[in-house]
Amino acid sequence: MLSVALRAVRPVALRSARRASPSTAARALSTTASRLSGPAAPSIYGTGSKQGEVPSDETQATGLERFQLLGEMQGVDSFDLEPLDSSRVGTLADPIKVFSLDTERIVGCTGAPADSHELHWFTVRHDKTRRCPECGSAYALDFQGVAEEHDAHHH
Amino acid sequence: MTNINNINRSDFQYFPFHLVTPSPWPILLSFSLLTMAIGAVMYMHGYSNGGELLSTGFILTSFGMGLWFRDVIIEGTYLGDHTRQVQKGLQLGILLFIVSEVFAFLSVFWAFFHSSLSPAIEIGGVWPPQGITPLDPFAIPLLNTILLVSSGAFVTYGHHALIHGDRRGAILGMFLTILFAVIFTILQYYEYSEAAFTMSDSVYGSSFYASTGLHGLHVIVGTIFISVAFIRLINYHLTDTHHQGCEAAILYWHFVDVVWLFLFIAVYYWGGM
Repeated sequence: MLSVALRAVRPVALRSARRASPSTAARALSTTASRLSGPAAPSIYGTGSKQGEVPSDETQATGLERFQLLGEMQGVDSFDLEPLDSSRVGTLADPIKVFSLDTERIVGCTGAPADSHELHWFTVRHDKTRRCPECGSAYALDFQGVAEEHDAHHH
Repeated sequence: MTNINNINRSDFQYFPFHLVTPSPWPILLSFSLLTMAIGAVMYMHGYSNGGELLSTGFILTSFGMGLWFRDVIIEGTYLGDHTRQVQKGLQLGILLFIVSEVFAFLSVFWAFFHSSLSPAIEIGGVWPPQGITPLDPFAIPLLNTILLVSSGAFVTYGHHALIHGDRRGAILGMFLTILFAVIFTILQYYEYSEAAFTMSDSVYGSSFYASTGLHGLHVIVGTIFISVAFIRLINYHLTDTHHQGCEAAILYWHFVDVVWLFLFIAVYYWGGM
């Protein structure tokens, strides 16, 4: 039964294989994740190290590590890991600004001064000022990212 | 060449941490370890094919580990996934692992002191037990102590050479470390084969070979660890500021060295008096 069915689709399968465009060409199943992953970060390299010498990060680092290194060399913090301003309670008129490269960011509040109350997590979106459920401190997103219509790859 | 003008912030992920891509090694290694453990139990209790299962499990575990670590090297050195934050995480990981190893050795030392501080009447109420001829601590064990401590000095020299951009010094330091480590292992093997007592010879033999044997296994693992760092150094993987794998190997080696010092003092010297 199966061999008859296979024989029937054989000409169609062969035709599409011959006429294969990148999206319809036959590939091993193991490559699915890699192919459908979406756009990757651009490849950034240094000049490479010299023979007989110990390499340095500047000549050899690549990828996200290199991106961080280049940022550091320019005095830029690439990842914004510093805590938010906890010296005051944000108000609706003067909310605490939350830097974000995306249209929303998760914020954890422990009040002002820091550690005044139990840690509360909540998401601050770009279109609404959000207030902490415990102390009422207001946070507003400071969106500095790129507006993308179809956010295919997630950061 | 760095196309610095074409880099947009949004091209790179917004956080510094490494979300690893799906990998088969954890679950494969998990089953390999289970195979090895069951094989070991079967072998030690005389069940048929236990040895074969143990060997199979050991080979699978070794390959699984090798392939997993290979992926980590690819991700760090070739893909650039190891930002400063990721490096710190790896460093913390190896530190905590070594702490867990310290506790493993604490247990063997506990067993040794339990039996030796208050020797049972069945072994003559003395330590070393009646009839046991211990090894002379100032013969091969002392030489081994010198070898290990020297290897610790060589690896420190090699590390500092790496940091200061001295490739030749780094290679020399690491090579001498491995050489002394191998000589130590050979001498220990010789001692084991020539000793007047076996593991079956009372609790003395059990505690001696359990403690020094566990240490010997760690020396072999540590030697392989340093050798991998050595090969990577030769192949220009390591930079003067980023060499987490090498630092991990060095830390592990110092731990092995310190354990030996405790062994020498407690088991060889005091335990042989």
